[in-house]
Amino acid sequence: MIAVLESTGKIVAWNHAAEAITGYTAAEVVGNPAVWKNLYPDPGYRRDATKKFVDILAKKKYFENLETTIRTRSGGSRIILWNTKEVTLGGSTRIISVGVDITGQRQLDAFRESIIDNAYILLAVLGPGGTVLVWNKAAESITGYLRNEVVGKRDVWKKIYPDAGYRKTITRRIVDIISRQSYFENLETTIRTKSGEERIISWNTRRIGSYEEAHEIAIGRDITEQRKAEEALLAYISEMAMRLRQPIEIVSESLYEIAGLVREGKLSRDEIVTALEGQARNAGQIASNVSEFQKAIAEKNREIPEAYRKFLEG
Amino acid sequence: MPSIVNSDDLAQKQLFLVLSEPAKIRERNIELIREISALGYRTIVITTNFPYSILSKLYAESGIDPKSVMFIDTVTRHSMGSVVNVPGVVHYIHSPSNLTDMGIAVTEALKGYPDKKVCILYDSISTMLIYLSSPNISKFIHFVTNKLRLMEISGIFLAVEKGLDPMLLTQLTTFVDKVIDMELPRP
Repeated sequence: MIAVLESTGKIVAWNHAAEAITGYTAAEVVGNPAVWKNLYPDPGYRRDATKKFVDILAKKKYFENLETTIRTRSGGSRIILWNTKEVTLGGSTRIISVGVDITGQRQLDAFRESIIDNAYILLAVLGPGGTVLVWNKAAESITGYLRNEVVGKRDVWKKIYPDAGYRKTITRRIVDIISRQSYFENLETTIRTKSGEERIISWNTRRIGSYEEAHEIAIGRDITEQRKAEEALLAYISEMAMRLRQPIEIVSESLYEIAGLVREGKLSRDEIVTALEGQARNAGQIASNVSEFQKAIAEKNREIPEAYRKFLEG
Repeated sequence: MPSIVNSDDLAQKQLFLVLSEPAKIRERNIELIREISALGYRTIVITTNFPYSILSKLYAESGIDPKSVMFIDTVTRHSMGSVVNVPGVVHYIHSPSNLTDMGIAVTEALKGYPDKKVCILYDSISTMLIYLSSPNISKFIHFVTNKLRLMEISGIFLAVEKGLDPMLLTQLTTFVDKVIDMELPRP
């Protein structure tokens, strides 16, 4: 939109785009100083905006990318980015104001920032030289380092990888991968959080832009709980295997032994019964153990991956 | 035939973990009792798999003096119901999972031999795995080995050689003085 103003603020020209954006026609606006009250109906906001205009104009006579929010005739809000230029026409000073409606862009930015901030994954954008440009809420939550401690700096990696040897190893791996394919996928590292806790992060990166403009997007998924669940699962399976294999071997061998003793006529009826009942009790307990393991795995440990759980549930 | 446990080690009240093939575990039990009895020790056998009545028969067949062995039987009472303890011969407890009763029975049995050479044989850790989780077994063996060391009594824990969880095996290894794998060649 383009508006031409006198130095007093009175509008002398109002183009078609200005009409479309604001809903006010040129006939309503031109020569009508009250239009500003319509565009900025909130007195407090209008006062602040006016002060800002006056302050800027006192220094340099033009605005550059000044953002204001106007109220349209229909009651909606539009965010306008203003640039102005002072010109002298026929001895009169005029201010040409060019306003770009950036409402859609701002909404998109807000939406994008909201996605970045509310994503349940650590998201960092690195500029040239590894300076952190973006550090989302999940990054703050996982690492314990707040945005203002990280953004604009390059030292967060030293903080989350405090061990110099480990940091060197990780750096070498990253450099090695990047030299081959310019990104990495599912690279697992163990970070130390601000509170001293260790978390396992699976990293994926992408490069956007090229040459001096290039930025790296690093996405980190906290897989600590998943790893713990997998370890618990392995421990369960290991325990289950041991508590199945050994007892079953013993029951089997014991039954052969009892059969041998019976065949040789060495056992009385009561002894046979006692020995067999002993083995039956063992077998019953083994079956009960298996059920207990299945229950523990399927119900108590929800962190175990679905595929494993389904397998274990039978 | 080489001995399984050394008489000097027994005299030093050492603790042993003896590993055997499942098919030979009874045979190893009998060999051990025969050796220990021959060295003048009385053995308290905690049996979790075979009843006292059968084991005592097998010992007698192998020429072991019945007086040199006392049993803590965790098998028979469950099957036969009411069985009567015979002091110095057999003490019945209801289940291998009842570690409290097992501990009391062992303590009571040891009181009967204050001045004699006594050894304890657990047969077996592998059967106990049916009734107890490995952390509980580990805790129990730790408790028992501490008690045996305090009382200066030798102890032998029998287990099936393969299939023990490496974590449990490592823990058991740290509780005993020697691990004897019966399936490995011995000098």
